[in-house]
This record gives sequence, structure tokens and C-alpha cells, in this order.
Amino acid sequence: MAKVRLENVSKVYGDVVAVRDIDLEIDHNEFVVLVGPSGCGKSTTLRMIAGLEEISGGSIHIGDRVVNDEPPRMRNVAMVFQNYALYPHMSVRENLAFGLTLARVPRREIDLKVAEAADILGLDELLDRQPAQLSGGERQRVAMGRAIVRHPDVFLFDEPLSNLDAQLRTQMRTEIKRLHRKVKTTVVYVTHDQVEAMTLADRVVIMRAGKVEQIGTPDNIFHYPANAFVAKFIGSPPMNMFDAVVAETTDGKVLRVDSDWQLPVPRHLATRVEAGHEVVIGLRADDITPRGHGMPPREGAVFESAVNIVEPLGSETLLFVNFGPSETIAKMVRPRTVQEGETLSFDVNLEELKLFDRSSGQAIERTRA
Amino acid sequence: MSGLSHRRGVSRLLGRLELVVIWVVTAVALAPFLWLMVTAFKHRTDVMSPTPKILFSPTLSNFHEAFVIGPFTTNLINSLVTASASTLLCLVLGLPAAYAFSRFRVYGEKHVFFYVLTTRMAPGIALVLPLYMFFQSIGLLGTLTAVTVAQTTFNLALVVYLMRNFFNDIPRELDEAALTEGAGEWQVFTRIILPLARPGIAVTAMISFLFAWNEFLFAFMLGGTGAQTLPAAFPGLVTPHGTYWGQLAAASVVVSIPVLIMIWFIQRHLTRGLTFGAVK
Ligand SMILES: Nc1ncnc2c1ncn2[C@@H]1O[C@H](COP(=O)(O)OP(=O)(O)OP(=O)(O)O)[C@@H](O)[C@H]1O
Ligand SMILES: [Mg+2]
Repeated sequence: MAKVRLENVSKVYGDVVAVRDIDLEIDHNEFVVLVGPSGCGKSTTLRMIAGLEEISGGSIHIGDRVVNDEPPRMRNVAMVFQNYALYPHMSVRENLAFGLTLARVPRREIDLKVAEAADILGLDELLDRQPAQLSGGERQRVAMGRAIVRHPDVFLFDEPLSNLDAQLRTQMRTEIKRLHRKVKTTVVYVTHDQVEAMTLADRVVIMRAGKVEQIGTPDNIFHYPANAFVAKFIGSPPMNMFDAVVAETTDGKVLRVDSDWQLPVPRHLATRVEAGHEVVIGLRADDITPRGHGMPPREGAVFESAVNIVEPLGSETLLFVNFGPSETIAKMVRPRTVQEGETLSFDVNLEELKLFDRSSGQAIERTRA
Repeated sequence: MSGLSHRRGVSRLLGRLELVVIWVVTAVALAPFLWLMVTAFKHRTDVMSPTPKILFSPTLSNFHEAFVIGPFTTNLINSLVTASASTLLCLVLGLPAAYAFSRFRVYGEKHVFFYVLTTRMAPGIALVLPLYMFFQSIGLLGTLTAVTVAQTTFNLALVVYLMRNFFNDIPRELDEAALTEGAGEWQVFTRIILPLARPGIAVTAMISFLFAWNEFLFAFMLGGTGAQTLPAAFPGLVTPHGTYWGQLAAASVVVSIPVLIMIWFIQRHLTRGLTFGAVK
């Protein structure tokens, strides 16, 4: 219901810079996910938006207000915590009603709103229980119910699913998405799980060491990672990476991994690199496939290797194979039985090959087709 | 096999030894108290008997002399009033202070907290003289107010210290959840923190009450004759004509009763109070 804008926001604890000059603009009803490794400043950013942490620099806007100096209660945001933070001495009903009671909403209206939220989240049966009598998933739902009853401008989630078991986590993930479709609100969601980020987000913000590495739609960051860090962080299994040097040969430019292992420079990158350029090759498992399983790539290269390890995942199988001097992960989508030790030929889909500058880690941009 | 059973034998022996030690310690600790109880119910002649009497006919005459004929009922009421009032005052002042120490980061806070603690550690005898002169100058010497205020000054530190620990056990996310839901700091305190800390408050209140109840020096010096508490009245039974052992024992039994009741309560509550932090 409101735009959120962060301008040059930073946070310093003593001599630790937790967040460094973040710029971020979040649209009405947009679902933005902050993702990154532990300690990268996700929670700090979220807590600064909530007003639970003072900002050391920059400014934060919610709607058309600058909220830098507003206490949390003035900001009309709702926060869902990792450990839910339900009030242990109140029933579920009282937990849901607490914020409305504080705002002196009339009793009848509170009852209506609580009933509405309970209905949306399937909490009707639980209203008279104490938090101690709820399962993890139920507590999670109460925590979300407590957020939605107040119709806040912004929802803030800090790793709301990380205390749940794997199965419940996927289920609640979908529920959160459904909830967002139903209760249109601006959401800022923090997680360190890239799958959660990809599945939930309209846009993903990838952070590292207090800085934003890339902002984009899930599709965008998956296919066009801005740098090697993002490329490796997003996608499962992680993108295969090899150091290489560009060399000029009679057949054109090649990426030399070592003296007898090389790949041609793909067409979309040919004009972007010169001989001698030190680069990192990025190839997803999806783009290294055994020959004869699916269509051969339009622009490809072929190599042979023994299969070291086979990891069947049901609908697909991961194969650990030798790629020159190092090991790489290949993927077989329509699996057949493969023996470990068996030698196969593999297609490399050069159209999807990424190159990163080795010293800066930045992606080498492809030429537009 | 034989090694194992040997070891088991040794550990069983150690277990017995432990039990014996526990019994001895308990007996040593309880002996004076038992002696006191027995004395309280003895006739004057039995008390004074040169060979201790194990068998005697019990009597309530000591209680009658101390509390009905003597002034000890007034002293008892004074004790109740000052201990209750100072406890209440300690809570009213100490709970918000403890909350502030637990939640707000203030420059120099560690020093202030340490200072608060030292008020409890300072020897009472060093404080009682200035307090005496102070109350004298404002004309409150010998009043219940003086005793109450004096006892508050030294129990306040204890309340702040204990309650800060209880508040620290309450997850900060609860405060933060309430703050984002529209609560101010005061509402967080009254609607989240206080209800959750209730077991801790009960325990702290009782400890504070007991300290005031047992306190002798301040009550004796500042209460004078007008506001004598029960412990402060004891020396009155040691007279040039002799010591009234029986009445002393009877008064001691009475003064111990609330102590026993509260210790029993504290034991029950303290375990709950300390494990309560797990609000996951
Ligand atoms: N109160 C604090 N005092 C000092 N340093 C802090 C404080 N809070 C956070 N930090 C530091 O700031 C950095 C960012 O912390 P933050 O909690 O935002 O990380 P995060 O991305 O949420 O990590 P996680 O995924 O582990 O929750 C970390 O290096 C952390 O050590
Ligand atoms: Mg965090």
C-alpha cells in the first residue's frame, strides 16, 4: 500500500559497517526479497525500515514521509520475526488483537478484523489457545495473522520460515505467496535461502558484506548475474566455475583452462574479450548434458568424461564429471541409469556460457542479439 | 565384570556417605532453631534449669507475656507495615529502573549500575549515622516513615539487580514486536514485560520483604521507641534484672514464621522464574 525508498542508507556498529550505502526503491504492493549469506546485513536493513535500528546515514521513505526519526509505532509497518515473538501470556485471539487494542479500535471492529484474519489464515479453531499450545507452523500463521489484522503499509519478514522443517517450509512458502495475492501489500522479506527468494520475489536484492550486489527479477538474476558472486549464489546446484585465459588460435578465440583443455569463446562474447584476458567461466549444470538426452545445443562443444558420482534427484540426475583439470556437475533431465565409472560424451551449451572478469568478478556483458 | 561390580560398590558407598554428610549438615543447621522452638514453649523454671530438660510440660505463657501483656504485638504490626511499605516502594521505583537497565543502552550505564550495587554492599553501620542525622534534621526520627525509607534505600539495589536479570531473560523480540504494533516504551513495560515477569516480581518482592523484616540496625537506630519493629524490640528483653529467655524465644519463633512461609514460596517460584525464559 506504500512505496518504500532507501537512499544511501548505512549502518555502523562501532567500527563494523553492517550496511553500506544501500539504494533501493520498492513499489506499491511489490514483494521484494533480501537474500545473501549470513552477516551480510539483511536483518539490519529490515530493522532500519521498521525503526528498530537507528540509521547511521542516508534516509528512508515510506509512502511520502521521511521516517528517519519516527519511532516504530509511527511507521505503520508490521514485522514477522524468525522466532515468531508471540506474546506468551496472551491467547491467540489476544495476540491478534493486541495492535488494534493499542490503537483503541472499538471492540466490535476488533472482533471483526480478528475473525477476518483468522479466516484468511485458518486460525479459527486456535483462537482460544495459548502460544505454548501451538505447533511451529501454527505459531508462524499466528505471527502472520498478527501482521495482517492491522492492515499495515508494509510487511517486514525476517527469515519467517527458517524454524520450520523442510516440508512445512515449502508449504508455508506457497501460503505466504497466496497471502500476498490476497492481501495486497508491500512486502520486504529477508532470507538466506535462495530458493525462497526466487520463488517468492517480484524482485530479489542480493547482498554481500553490507552491500547490494544485484537487484532484479528472479529470471533476470538467474540468467544475467551481474557478477561471479551472484552467479554462484543463485541456482542449485551452484554454477560451475573455472579459471581460464583467453587465447587467439587459428580457429578464433578460445578459453584456455589449461594446456590441453579449452572451449571456444561463444559468439555473444567474442567481441568482448581479447587474448590474454584472465576470466572465470560460468556454466550451470543445466548447460552440461549427456549427448542424446534432449536437443543438442545450437552452439555447442563436446567433451568426454568418466562419471565419478551419480546423484539421482527423481526428475533429474546430477552427474559429477571431469572437466579438464577440475570437476564439474552435469545434469540429465530425462534420466536413464548411469553407472559410476561409465564414460559419456557431454554437450556444453555455449549460448548460456557466462564470463566474469577474474580480478573484479564482474560479468562480461554479452553483445545484444 | 568383577571390576565393574567393585566400582558399583564404591559408588554406592559414596552415595551413603553423601547422605550422612547431608544429615549432619542439616542437623547442625537446625539444632539452634529446634532449641529455640523448645525454649519458647518452656516454663520459666524449665528454661533456667541448670541441666537441660528434654521432657517438660509445654506452655504458651511466654507468648502470652510477650504479645498480650508485653508490647510485642505493636512491634509486630510495625514490622509488617515497614516491611510491606518498603517492599512496595522498592517495586514502584525499582521495576522501571530495572527495565531501563535491561533495555536501554545509556552512556556510562555500567558505572551507574555498579554504583547502584555498591549502595547494597556498603556496610550498614557506615550509613546509619548520616541517616540518623538526616532524619533528625527533618524531624522524622522515630517514625515508621524513617524506617521504611531507610530500608527502601538498601533494598532498592537488590530489586533493581534481580529484576534486571529477570527482564534480561525476556526475549527482546517481544518488545520489538509490540513496538512495531504501535506500543510505546511504557506500554511495552506494562503490557508485555510486567505480566511476563510476574514470577520474578513475586520472588523479588518476597526477598525484599524478608530483608526488611529481618533488618535490625536501621530499625533499631532510626525507629527509636515510637516505631520499634519486632527485631528492634529484642534488646528490651535483656534487662539489668535478667534476660527473659522464654519471651525472646517466643518472639523469635513468631519472627521466623513469615520467613519460613516465604522461603517455601520462593523455592517453588524460583525454579519457574528461572526456566521461564524459553519463549521460543
Ligand atoms: N548490535 C550489533 N552490534 C554490533 N554488530 C552488529 C550488531 N548487529 C549486527 N551486527 C553486525 O552487522 C552485520 C550484519 O548483521 P545482520 O544481522 O544484519 O546480518 P544478516 O544478514 O541478517 O545475517 P543472518 O543471515 O545471519 O541473520 C554482521 O556482521 C553483524 O555481526
Ligand atoms: Mg538476520
